[in-house]
Amino acid sequence: MSDLDDFKATYFDECSELLLELEEQFAAIEAGDSTSDRLNAVFRAIHSIKGGGGAFGFSALVGFAHAYETLLDHVRDGKVDLTEPVVALCIRANDLVADFVKAAKDGVTLAEGYGSDEKAQFDVLTAAEGEEETLEEFDLDFVPVMVQVGPKTLPADPSTFTPDAAADHFDVAPLSPSDLGWLVRFVPQPELYARANDPLLLIRELGRLGAVEIRARVDDVPLLGDFEGMASYCAWDIFVSGDKVTRAAIEEIFEFVEGLCELDLREASRHELGPLTLPPQAAEVFDDGPSLADLAAEIKPKAPTAGQAVEPVAPPPEGAAEGDRRNGIHSIRVDLDKIDRVVNMVGELVITQSMLTQQMDESLRAQYQELVRGLEVLAQTTRGLQDSVMSIRAQPVKTVFSRMPRLVRELAVKTGKKIRLETVGENTEIDKTIIEQLSDPLTHMIRNSADHGIEGPEKRLGLGKSDTGVIRLSAEQSGGNIIIAVEDDGGGINRDRVLQVARERGVVGADQQLTDDQTDQLIFAPGFSTASEVSDLSGRGVGMDVVLSNIKKIGGSVQVKSWPGKGTRMTLRLPLTLAVLDVMLVTVAGSPYVIPLSTIVETMQCMRANFSRMPTGGQVLKVRGEYVQVVDLAQRFAMPTSVDDASRFVVLCEAEGGQKIALVVDGIIGQQQVVIKSLEENFQSIEGIAGGTILGDGNVALIVDVQGIKVSSGLAHKSAA
Amino acid sequence: MEALGFRDETSSEDVVSAANSLQLIAFSIGEQTYGVEITTVREIRAWNGATPIPNTRDFVRGVINLRGTIVPIFDLRARFGEGQTSPTKNHVVVVISVGEKWVGILVDAVSDILTVSRTDIHNVPEGQAVDNELLNGIITHDNRMVGLIDLYAVVNGARVDD
Amino acid sequence: MRILTVDDSRTMLAMLRHALGGAGFEVLQAEDGQQGLDLLKNESVDLVITDINMPVMDGIEFIKNVRASGLYSSLPILILTTESSQEKRDLGRAAGGTGWIVKPFDPEKLISVIHRVLH
Repeated sequence: MSDLDDFKATYFDECSELLLELEEQFAAIEAGDSTSDRLNAVFRAIHSIKGGGGAFGFSALVGFAHAYETLLDHVRDGKVDLTEPVVALCIRANDLVADFVKAAKDGVTLAEGYGSDEKAQFDVLTAAEGEEETLEEFDLDFVPVMVQVGPKTLPADPSTFTPDAAADHFDVAPLSPSDLGWLVRFVPQPELYARANDPLLLIRELGRLGAVEIRARVDDVPLLGDFEGMASYCAWDIFVSGDKVTRAAIEEIFEFVEGLCELDLREASRHELGPLTLPPQAAEVFDDGPSLADLAAEIKPKAPTAGQAVEPVAPPPEGAAEGDRRNGIHSIRVDLDKIDRVVNMVGELVITQSMLTQQMDESLRAQYQELVRGLEVLAQTTRGLQDSVMSIRAQPVKTVFSRMPRLVRELAVKTGKKIRLETVGENTEIDKTIIEQLSDPLTHMIRNSADHGIEGPEKRLGLGKSDTGVIRLSAEQSGGNIIIAVEDDGGGINRDRVLQVARERGVVGADQQLTDDQTDQLIFAPGFSTASEVSDLSGRGVGMDVVLSNIKKIGGSVQVKSWPGKGTRMTLRLPLTLAVLDVMLVTVAGSPYVIPLSTIVETMQCMRANFSRMPTGGQVLKVRGEYVQVVDLAQRFAMPTSVDDASRFVVLCEAEGGQKIALVVDGIIGQQQVVIKSLEENFQSIEGIAGGTILGDGNVALIVDVQGIKVSSGLAHKSAA
Repeated sequence: MEALGFRDETSSEDVVSAANSLQLIAFSIGEQTYGVEITTVREIRAWNGATPIPNTRDFVRGVINLRGTIVPIFDLRARFGEGQTSPTKNHVVVVISVGEKWVGILVDAVSDILTVSRTDIHNVPEGQAVDNELLNGIITHDNRMVGLIDLYAVVNGARVDD
Repeated sequence: MRILTVDDSRTMLAMLRHALGGAGFEVLQAEDGQQGLDLLKNESVDLVITDINMPVMDGIEFIKNVRASGLYSSLPILILTTESSQEKRDLGRAAGGTGWIVKPFDPEKLISVIHRVLH
């Protein structure tokens, strides 16, 4: 039944959110922050997982969740102390619940007795309680009763409730007024209004002094026909109470209107204010217009003056905005496909807009200034639209970071090492598609750190380190990129071993000398693995090269830096969004190519560039005292060019690890934004090309893979040497 | 597109029973006629240039923009080892789905739609290595020999290092 | 007939909507007690079905608030939850709940209970 499948899909979606929440809450609880809010949230999460699971008959899941829930209930009620072992048990239980959920989702049955150890521990912890009774499925013997609830109910006579007033009480803050205070009878005279005084401001001032209750006296308001524009018909009785309320304070407020109003001030008890009654003629006044209640509702946020029932004005009105927001819906769920369609269309819009802008040559600009202005606005709006759409797709990296604590726990158990995971910047947002692609690389990197980086506890103690190794996972935004780093305080990369393996496998020539940084980067070489013994964890036939290729696929780069004996840091640099890239458009052998702007350091004409020829035949460029490898893209792509050398251009780029490379192109057309399109969707990956894009004229331009060209050129060099 | 001659669909003389029949789009390269199953054809368009892709074999003419996606174009003449086509506006790109992917093949002209019987498909004679690799079979139609293109084979081996 | 359903679980809300909608009821949804109260301000309903364990405002508080408003003293409120302890049940009764349904619920039984409450 498809309805059921829909419900299940909703349920599993919800489960992943709840599991995520559990992970977060327990991270805080583990750190010592076990407020009752957290415990309640944890309880609710398990409760919801259990509840939905019951509806679908996932009995293994429900059985485990129920036992766990009982423990959480006891913890919540303080019947079981939240000691370290209990927290550890809970964290383990969360993992098990995740397993049960996954099994239910995949339709597989977990081994008999899965989680029974933990369940037994729950039972021991909660054993003091007797068996709970089971209730009938439904039970209607409750009698609806009216309950008076503490301070939230007002002691006023129920007959004074109007529907609006009653409803309003729901979001009125609990009131603790003393019954004694000051009663202010305030009757403005026409002169008060004539001098532009506003009773509302005075009443607000009173509100700042203390709690205020107001009755508007509108008995004198005449029928509309007798209404005089400049007359004053309304008066107010105001009851003010609070510590700061004194006669002097109240008189000070009315000092400015002295002589412009009748003011009667006396100490009184609240009930002297009397109940609110709407005078019958009020309805007649506005016979054909909006009802008084409507008006009152309309002016309610600012003016507690007319027709309002007991309206206590709490001194600082902060927090009100939050309450207001609660009334509206502040999020909706949208199918990702729909958003993607919008993203694609916005992408095309960006292209069209940049095409239009390109078409504007100088003479057109001079001739059609309005058009130019319109295009500028269009460009701005398009950019704004694009940012907004992209922000819809953005998600905090938390969704993937939160999977890592479990991984680290498992790694710690399997390696016998003590490892603590620290996460920083989980709320950094990044495109959803990129997030989805992050899980595998991060898993690999963390495995690598746990496996090869962090030392065993004895060794660490021997080295004067703490026996617990730290893996730090962090995310931050830096310009148009997100930087995600995995750092550990382990032994660093064993460069001798890396070089030895690389030489054995022919990745590095026997006589080739590498800098330390270059050696470190070798761990990303295809098929490279240094673990002396293949470990159960990292050695699964895939090495760190998978990380590199995954990250490159989403337009990112990877860099590693290592400090012997101190640790390793691997850094992922990722684009904020997959969809749009700022590029420089160039031509090579008559075809358009684009080079990501983020990689470009500078451009120069070849005739001004300082080339030198290497003994091997390769060219280098001397720029600012540095020798940079030169790659002629026409040659590199084996596409003959007819452009003579002097009028060609050098695009100086920076590849990963700050290594520079000078690309020679035939011409530079300009900068623009492009939408990245996959070559692999209908074709395959091409070495030296990172993808394609569609230009304003409808033609395809290829995106130059600067890093790929740098790497392969380095290899070509080596084989030539 | 002007190159498409769908109008004479029913001109086929023999009415072949539907279950056993096969409709082909036939196109020519020089004197030779080839065909692909009509259900695989997505679109037929006039040649309008392609952006060359480096590090690919000569039969990969480049990529084009097909309503926002990038589609590679294979030069069928070059694929058969007969040298690159010098395309004009009169040449035709037949966009075909090959598995999940869409590819274009550059041919001289689309000639006909043929309805043939599956039983009339003959094996490709041994000996012709290229034909053997690229054709699924041959069919005789109006005394013409029509080679059935193996689309997967055509697309394979596009990269220089493949 | 309009029924307000209050539950923090989207799954449960979806299933309730399906079961109740299929029986011809109009269904309003709220994800916690506070949202439920906010809805009640502007909407009139004939019956409320609420969960107990919810963030922001739990079901017990929600029921107390509804009853305290004085407007809905005769509005039937069914408590739908997995909670099955006598203690919780008493709390629900004291707060002003009309009845109790243990989940997972059987849609047919749920509908028959609703009809009994409404007539």
